[in-house]
Amino acid sequence: MKPRNRWLSAYAVVVYVFLFAPIVVLILFSFNSSRANFQWEGFTLDWYPTLFKNRRLLDAVSVTLRVALVAVVVSTVIGTLLGLALARVRFRGRAAAETLLLVPMVTPEIIMGLSLLVFFFAAFGGRGSFGQLALAHITFCISYVAIVVRARAAGMNPQLEEAARDLGASAFGAFRYITLPLIRPAIVSGALLAFALSFDDYVVTTFNAGVGSSTLPLFIYSKVKFGVTPEINAISTIIVAVTAVAVLVAWRLNRRRDDETLVVAEPEAEPGRP
Amino acid sequence: MAVEPPIGGLATPAPGPSDIDAAAAAGGGRRRAPIGNRLVSGILLVPGIAWLLVFFVVPVAMIFVVSFGSRGPLDSISLEHLSLDNYRRALDPVFLPTLLNSLRYAAATTILSLAIGYPIAYWISRYGGRNKTLLLIIVMLPFWTSYLIRTYAWQIVLRDNGVVNSILMAIGVTSEPIILLNTDFSVILGMTYGFLPFAILPLYVSIDRLDPALVAAARDLYASGRAAFLHVTLPLTMPGIIAASILTFIPAIGDFVTPDILGGSETTTIAKVVQELFLQGRDWPYGAALGFMLMLLTLGGTLLAIGPLRREVGGL
Amino acid sequence: MTHEHDGSTIDLEQALDRYLLERRITRRQLLERIGAVGAAAALAPIIAACTSSAASPSPAPSASAAASAAASAAAPSPSAEPTPVPSPEAELNIYNWTEYIGENTIPSFEAKYGVKVNLDFFANTDEAYAKLGNDGGGYDLSFPISVDIPAFVAKGALLELDKSLIPNLKNLGAEWADPKYDPGNAHSMPYMWWTTGIGYDTTKVTDTPTSSKALWDPRYAKHIGMLDDYQEVFGLTLIQLGYDANTSDLGQLDEATALLEQQKPLVRVYTTNTREMMSSKDNWIGHIWGADIYTIQESNENVLYYIPEEGGVKGSDTMAVFSGAQHPIAAHLFINHMLDAHVSADNTNFIYYMGPNAAAKAFIDPAILSDPSVNPDQEIVAKLQELIDLGPELRDEYQKRWHQLGR
Repeated sequence: MKPRNRWLSAYAVVVYVFLFAPIVVLILFSFNSSRANFQWEGFTLDWYPTLFKNRRLLDAVSVTLRVALVAVVVSTVIGTLLGLALARVRFRGRAAAETLLLVPMVTPEIIMGLSLLVFFFAAFGGRGSFGQLALAHITFCISYVAIVVRARAAGMNPQLEEAARDLGASAFGAFRYITLPLIRPAIVSGALLAFALSFDDYVVTTFNAGVGSSTLPLFIYSKVKFGVTPEINAISTIIVAVTAVAVLVAWRLNRRRDDETLVVAEPEAEPGRP
Repeated sequence: MAVEPPIGGLATPAPGPSDIDAAAAAGGGRRRAPIGNRLVSGILLVPGIAWLLVFFVVPVAMIFVVSFGSRGPLDSISLEHLSLDNYRRALDPVFLPTLLNSLRYAAATTILSLAIGYPIAYWISRYGGRNKTLLLIIVMLPFWTSYLIRTYAWQIVLRDNGVVNSILMAIGVTSEPIILLNTDFSVILGMTYGFLPFAILPLYVSIDRLDPALVAAARDLYASGRAAFLHVTLPLTMPGIIAASILTFIPAIGDFVTPDILGGSETTTIAKVVQELFLQGRDWPYGAALGFMLMLLTLGGTLLAIGPLRREVGGL
Repeated sequence: MTHEHDGSTIDLEQALDRYLLERRITRRQLLERIGAVGAAAALAPIIAACTSSAASPSPAPSASAAASAAASAAAPSPSAEPTPVPSPEAELNIYNWTEYIGENTIPSFEAKYGVKVNLDFFANTDEAYAKLGNDGGGYDLSFPISVDIPAFVAKGALLELDKSLIPNLKNLGAEWADPKYDPGNAHSMPYMWWTTGIGYDTTKVTDTPTSSKALWDPRYAKHIGMLDDYQEVFGLTLIQLGYDANTSDLGQLDEATALLEQQKPLVRVYTTNTREMMSSKDNWIGHIWGADIYTIQESNENVLYYIPEEGGVKGSDTMAVFSGAQHPIAAHLFINHMLDAHVSADNTNFIYYMGPNAAAKAFIDPAILSDPSVNPDQEIVAKLQELIDLGPELRDEYQKRWHQLGR
């Protein structure tokens, strides 16, 4: 085992503190008895029950999570396929495809949001809805997933797959048992990115959400004018807590499977071997 | 050289040789293992390309057409006389300061994100052990709260009677609060914070697949720690660095929320101007033109910037 | 016109604030208690405090006004319904600012007519207008600013209102019967009105400013806040220079731009979140809307408001039904509900903005009615200028200069 590098570990701690500082402040102020979100007045648990009575806030959270779920699943699948293709397949117009991947990212959100508004209205007479919102979110997430997967897949040794084929595996088999596990970190990373993007999206959502499909960012942003109440802090705290628990559980379950595939597919991951 | 790194950057005509391969085939041919037959290629490509074509290219093309139009009566869009007028107006030098602001912030954010993100990604990969994924997810955890709220939280930390100033005054470093909020500093801090996971994730992905045996080999061959890093680790993780740069720089140029909340009187960005033209000015054609110019600039700038990076890495 | 508080008012204010602080409740919560418990019980400690200190005439009238308000809650109130009451659709889609409506307004409407109200929020009007488009974008009712009504009407975006469904419009004050932006209230009903002026923190700004030039005072460098609204900012500056707030004279506009250029290095932030602008104590003096003073004072009680002596700006917004409305009857009934004297008073008491409803005045918290930041005297209001729809070419000129200022 490598000896721990003390400086690096200390640095890591500092970075984690930096990342969590605003979150700690956020959680702390969810117990603030003042409506104003930046002046500490006193401790109270009241905001939590209040928030559960706020029908619109809960609806917004529900929509946000559902849209994010759909967006993550679909964009991760499509983005992974695309990323793989760009990394491994030689085809005509590849450069164009690569650029196509970049363009959604450079497009100002207002243009993306309005263009979808106009498009859906012109094509389907759509006026904003859950479905429209989900489609919009998927669209801007694909590029991010594809780029991350591409980076990892491009660095992968193609010989491994070839070896599997030589040994009689089908194309799909080689993909499933060799390629997929090797790019899995990238897929997970892409999915995480997509979730963060979708969950927080404001501009594109503004123009594509319809009546009854308002999301949490819209809800919060609209409170900007009158001051963000600690209710919002409370819901954010709950979301962080739930996510943390869910992720922990998923990770523990996953770890078991990981151990088995590690031996087969990741010889490089064992440190210390010459 | 002993090692030719694989290139995972953009617009490569073909992926470079794998690292194991390179040792045996210095300067030699590039071996490619094409993924199966056309059917497989189709399955991989079609969903993504088709989706982007339908839900991205077509809608944006519609707005692109609008950019050649003009604002009609009652703020409608008139496509009667298509012209380049809006683009000419978009080149107005009055936008230069805001454009420079955007570029400055995006560049600073990207550099800082890379500088901060690389060591942490390295740490997670090398020392995370079994908890690697967990540590990575903990990095992402803050980003599943609302972006707006997190940015507000920075206000609480940075304002005149906020956390930082209170501490500084309590320990006697200063008697008057230092103006931290509504400055370039607060904007860059906020943006870096916001985009850090966008940098850490691809960096991690790339660093993680680095074979530590290679570094060990370099050390065995009498390379110093620093040399091993510069000539082995860094080039081999370049795909990740490039991906991280792209995923940070590009959205950063379009970010107007952070400068809006944490910025002050002199921190307006071009993204906000575009937004304003659409919404407050109700001039969609003009806004579209400025928006597309911005896109062109960003895309061109990014491709230009990546080019030298890849060349420096060697081989291509 | 006096903005200074005369001795008696300060006593009541101080006593009230002390009372509230001790009990850690806001003014609003106090009002709720008044309604629930009865004026005497809630106000008794205050009256006791006031009469025990210097004797002053005003506590008595205020107390009795509040008492009569509570009493008349039981008596029949000015609220009418159309006859016969039409049956509304099952739902109603409303698009509004956050928290820009009384807490009970929608629940009471839902209970009364059995209509399910879907309420969505927006953060600024420009975004909302883009969403509303030419026919409401799926929403039945929204709250456009009055200056924008002519443009909406010209686009055919608004339904002409069926006055027979809105008998409560008789509650409107006489001055609102025929506004310039919508003659005869044919397409909209006024909702709230306000003034724009200046707020300052008395602990940091030691003299009592009366001019808008105070926003240019170098003593407050980097602690000045301005609204992030080009029409408001130019309006303020043009008035300070003695011009029309909506001038089409480009020379005057350039003068204003130059003045704003001078101000820019002194400004800390441009924002429409006035509450934060003045509450966070980063800003000592700011360009704010008068009615926001209440929410500001909840966090920073040292902030006072004044309308510049050079003159100022006033504005209002409206409720309007859109041409694509799927639930027009419910929308009309809702407007009628909003014009009910009690409901209108509830709205005012909750959001602290003044409405146009004359009949509601009997039920509005007297502290709000007597507060010159929310409800200045009519003679002052009459002298204020309104911001109008500049039209595309002039709007471009203003925006160009706004961009020059780096916004």
